[in-house]
Amino acid sequence: MIEVNNLHKNFGSLKVLKGITEKVEDSEVVCVIGPSGSGKSTFLRCLNLLETPTSGDIWIDGEKVTDPKVNINKIREEVGMVFQRFNLFPHMTALKNVAIAPMKVRGLSEKEAYDRAHDLLKKVGLEDKANVYPSSLSGGQQQRVAIARALAMHPKVMLFDEPTSALDPEMVGEVLNVMKDLAKEGMTMVVVTHEMGFAREVGDRVLFMDDGIIVEKGTPHEIFYNAQNERTKSFLSKVL
Amino acid sequence: MSLLASYLEHAITVFPSLLRGAVITIEVTTFAIFFGLILGTIAAFGKLSKRSVFKIPSTMYVDFIRGTPLFVQILLFYYGIPGLIFGLTGDPFMIDPIIAGIAVCSINSGAYNAEIVRAGIKSVDRGQMEAARSLGMAEGQAMREVIVPQAVRLIIPPLGNEFIALLKDSSLLAIISVHELSKNGMLYVSKTFATFPTYISVALVYLALTMGISRVLNYIERRLGVSDRSE
Repeated sequence: MIEVNNLHKNFGSLKVLKGITEKVEDSEVVCVIGPSGSGKSTFLRCLNLLETPTSGDIWIDGEKVTDPKVNINKIREEVGMVFQRFNLFPHMTALKNVAIAPMKVRGLSEKEAYDRAHDLLKKVGLEDKANVYPSSLSGGQQQRVAIARALAMHPKVMLFDEPTSALDPEMVGEVLNVMKDLAKEGMTMVVVTHEMGFAREVGDRVLFMDDGIIVEKGTPHEIFYNAQNERTKSFLSKVL
Repeated sequence: MSLLASYLEHAITVFPSLLRGAVITIEVTTFAIFFGLILGTIAAFGKLSKRSVFKIPSTMYVDFIRGTPLFVQILLFYYGIPGLIFGLTGDPFMIDPIIAGIAVCSINSGAYNAEIVRAGIKSVDRGQMEAARSLGMAEGQAMREVIVPQAVRLIIPPLGNEFIALLKDSSLLAIISVHELSKNGMLYVSKTFATFPTYISVALVYLALTMGISRVLNYIERRLGVSDRSE
């Protein structure tokens, strides 16, 4: 589903990604862990070109994303993204937040889009909040709406950029549960997270990133109970 | 007492002429607000553009207008440009003072509006654009659906101040004999030398007009505030 080949990203003279090569299979849930500043978010943001890679290639579902001639809007339609700070549209109700992209981008009729949005809000357990504006929702609820909004485009891949890092601890669970359901349904997911429990339980594979490279990767069991690399061990000893 | 009585008499006598002047003031201001908004929006997007064909002219326009006095801009537009055309073609060239007044005020106001609109758009959180783009929206679509509706609410209050400033500044058009509020006051004074009652009346009419604008703007702000649920 996703193929990344020798991806580099510099911000000015700062080298953030120093050669990432990785493959994500269909229906796979890949969790990316690592210390702050290791490049995990940048890696994720390169996948839908919110950051333009300095060099290297990315394919998503067979389309070469890094081809300069590619229609990036078309690719982004197939790649859902959930942000750390939700980024819901504050001037729209929860329902409209979910319906707007199918309507404006996919060209669904208002009725189709709102029906779809209703179904998705139900799926994330927020059908009773359809007509509420984001500022009246808790962080956990906002993030669930944001997930519904991304799903409304029926994406082939979902990218999660630290989806629970901005949440109060008691709200982390409700968001992770929605993500677990999604994983069970077979959604291909790349999740940058500090939730080691989620990575261990839901992840098919875990990538440990540090200093712009993937230092170690493997099944959750291999990474969490049998890490080989010193940096991985030292990181895990601090967070577990 | 007799002084007060004579002042009152002058105020009453001058009042119809001030009202006629106020109509011209409102007319000029209304047109200038309208064209100034169009110019300002174009210049704001020009300044925000990454392409220098749009960016450079917009920046030059805003810098020139904001860096020179309105008074001089009025003189330049009404006297300077016809003078230049006369010099080039040899034909005398005149502009109607009201048309010139509206044009200068629009151009002047547009430059200030441009900065207000630009700042409003810039102050919408970057994550909003990212979220919209990540859903597959094109840049223009994201602007229309997501950024501009949020920016408008940030833009309205400073824009209101700008409209009030514009109404007051239109008094400078007296210099090119636009018969607006101040000019009509000056004309009355030149006939009667009743300086105090005339100019205090002029000032009070301006005050009434600006308070009127404030009310309208407050109403608009409240109306927009209904859907203002941003954090």
